[in-house]
Amino acid sequence: MQQLSEQGKAAEKGWEPRIVALVCNWCTYAGADMAGTTRRIYAPNVRLVRLLCTGRVDPLFITKTFEHGADGVVVSGCHPGDCHYVQGNLLARRRLSLFRALMDFLGLDNRRLHFAWVSASEGIKWSKVVDEVTAAVREAGPLTGWGKAAITNSSRPLLFPDPAEEPRPAPSPEENESITAHLRKSAASLLSAGELSVVIGYGAGSLPGQMVPAFVTNPEEASLLAWNERCANNLTVYLPQAVKRRGKGKVGVVVKSCDAKAVVGLLRENQITRDEVSLLGVPCAGLWENGRLAPKCHACPEEVSSLVDWTITPDGAKQGVATSGKERAVAADPRDGAIAFLESLSAEERWDYWQRQFSRCLRCYACQAVCTLCYCATCIWERHRPQWIPTTNDGKGNTAWNVTRAMHLAGRCVGCDECARVCPANIRLDLLNRRLSQELERKFQYRSDIDPGAAPPLTTFRPDDPDEFL
Amino acid sequence: MEMKGWRLAEREWREWLEALARAGKRIIAPVKEDGLVLFRPVASAAEIALADYENSRWSAKEFLFPRTEPLFAYRFQGDEVSLEEARPDGTEQVLFGLRPCDAAGLRQLDHIFLGEEEDPLYAQRRKLTTVVSLACDKSQPECFCTAVGGSPGGMGGSDLQLISLGNEWLLRAVTQKGETLASAAASRWTPASDKDWGKAEEQRLAVEQGLERNPVPAEWAQLLERSFDHPVWEGIGRRCLSCGICAYVCPSCSCFDMNDEGNAWCGVRCRSWDSCTFAQFTRHASGHNPRPTQASRYRQRVLHKFAYFPLQHQERSMCVGCGRCLKLCPVGMDISRSVQRAVSAATSKEGVSEQS
Repeated sequence: MQQLSEQGKAAEKGWEPRIVALVCNWCTYAGADMAGTTRRIYAPNVRLVRLLCTGRVDPLFITKTFEHGADGVVVSGCHPGDCHYVQGNLLARRRLSLFRALMDFLGLDNRRLHFAWVSASEGIKWSKVVDEVTAAVREAGPLTGWGKAAITNSSRPLLFPDPAEEPRPAPSPEENESITAHLRKSAASLLSAGELSVVIGYGAGSLPGQMVPAFVTNPEEASLLAWNERCANNLTVYLPQAVKRRGKGKVGVVVKSCDAKAVVGLLRENQITRDEVSLLGVPCAGLWENGRLAPKCHACPEEVSSLVDWTITPDGAKQGVATSGKERAVAADPRDGAIAFLESLSAEERWDYWQRQFSRCLRCYACQAVCTLCYCATCIWERHRPQWIPTTNDGKGNTAWNVTRAMHLAGRCVGCDECARVCPANIRLDLLNRRLSQELERKFQYRSDIDPGAAPPLTTFRPDDPDEFL
Repeated sequence: MEMKGWRLAEREWREWLEALARAGKRIIAPVKEDGLVLFRPVASAAEIALADYENSRWSAKEFLFPRTEPLFAYRFQGDEVSLEEARPDGTEQVLFGLRPCDAAGLRQLDHIFLGEEEDPLYAQRRKLTTVVSLACDKSQPECFCTAVGGSPGGMGGSDLQLISLGNEWLLRAVTQKGETLASAAASRWTPASDKDWGKAEEQRLAVEQGLERNPVPAEWAQLLERSFDHPVWEGIGRRCLSCGICAYVCPSCSCFDMNDEGNAWCGVRCRSWDSCTFAQFTRHASGHNPRPTQASRYRQRVLHKFAYFPLQHQERSMCVGCGRCLKLCPVGMDISRSVQRAVSAATSKEGVSEQS
């Protein structure tokens, strides 16, 4: 409603859409030039930014553009097959199609975001594209809500569907105890044999029932290790550093099946090599928090990851993968239910929801710190020449951060949901990540958690990638 | 000292807050948002959510020391630069429902922002703020206020304190400012009796009994300062992932960074919260970082709370024991345990264990 009335006000004042076009030097820029030299008359609302190639368009350019007050953005480059750099436009097509899906999920009016192929000879097409884009943005009205949450205490919280019944019960204390006993024994013997130089596992924290990461380097300290259904951390986050600091032995790390998937990412991106680490798999029935099964565990089919070097079963440690053989009960993924619910709302409602979430963001960067795949020595938020992510803890800075974090993990996130678990502001980061994973699977048949050898989806393309959004 | 206070029904203090709001004061109180308890300005006292209220997810310090605030705006016109100072709005505010630990945290912020060099923006907000704290009637597993000199009924930093007495409430005037805030309605309230004071005291003692963490004696400050080079810190900080949760939920952390947000023609210089646990916090322009490891950054956080600040300001500690950092830490870093461990390592001659 507020947005509508602002639109009305703006219309009275003679508002004109402000649109930024990010165009490539070789095709669209020349095409726009052609439109000018042939005296085409078209809407004057577009400001061009000339780049060498649309492959250079980072989604950050687009968020920055909106941040600075643009009402719409159009990205335009060479037709497939015409790219001056052979494939830049095809890489851009994937990246931008994903970005558009994310922005749609966040509730940005998709009349504000456009993509086109315009060649150097298509002056007429360029003028048409500009007219169409301008008309669409005019219809959408001024963008007033970027980085602005309409927070009122009375605004009704969204009623997400109730999570389904837990498909399986929590493991029995006896089972946990026998796994714990075998884990301690194996850790001690692998450490004394020198096969491992450190075991990163779980130990008791200082709060009742709390489990925290524990580093064990002496066999005598193996008794600090334990396993139960509250061992939430994805310990693989420590691997890139730990392999650098390790002594002669490998780095042993206790992994649940979801944690092990992050190792696929580390291997794919050459952050560790397989012979530097030893994965001690624990049979996992799911993670329980406050008496409920964690959302990521409902549909999880894997008791033990197929990647593990050791399985610590209740009957003892076994080399390689060992499962109990019991049939594992699974249910629909509650995260998918939550995503479907959000998608059933109007774009405005979604926008309000996410802006309210982002407005709480403290910018503590815990989401990044706990993420195994966020191993960069310097994260984008720490880069300040230029300052791509505003340092200000307000709607604009927080929107830029959360959008960028999600995009940087697209095709890399394995869905361990550590980011969402630790977020002090309870922002459902898991839903953002998962929505992008869904999109990658639907559009490009890609899953990040299976094959360490598969090319990351945003570094490659297929000539027939979907481009219905163009 | 004579204690001044009133016995009230919940309806009475809600009406009082309602009247204050009508008189143009901004009431900031705990509300529920998406499953979280947060401090927010409320339009009506009915929004205040005290049912099962333990403590807010993060402290209310942002209403005195905002996450981000403009210091000034700049504009280039030709060769001229014009500056415009930030003018915070002059609305009087009432911080209602802070736990005594958070109120004590404001006193620590006062040391920083009103001490040697007064920060005008903070000072103005502080002057316009009256703090009505809410004494604790139970403790949480993460609480350790008594270990650092606080109390579930502590009054440091409060102007008034509300104490639950079962079905009724006791409102205690702590400062003249608090008494003034209550004065408009106080004539209609029943003065508290000795029995009421007795009940409040009983409750405070009962809650204190439930707090089990070992005290941090004031003498430890020097001991900790001397532990700076002790290898135990490497083990203590090993788990830390260098995020900023601890600093951002903390009622007494006060560090900030400044940055210009703008373009070539105009912009705003803002200061925003920052955290000593970030690698970037001390990274020099040259690339050199005097605190290059997570462990050295975590040590800074602990020592600032328990050594540097107490020595500089003659306080017991900077930490007020709300326990948020240890409850919310992704890897369960426990600041009070870290202190105990550093002290025992520094005082023992034996080798140190790797574990925390």
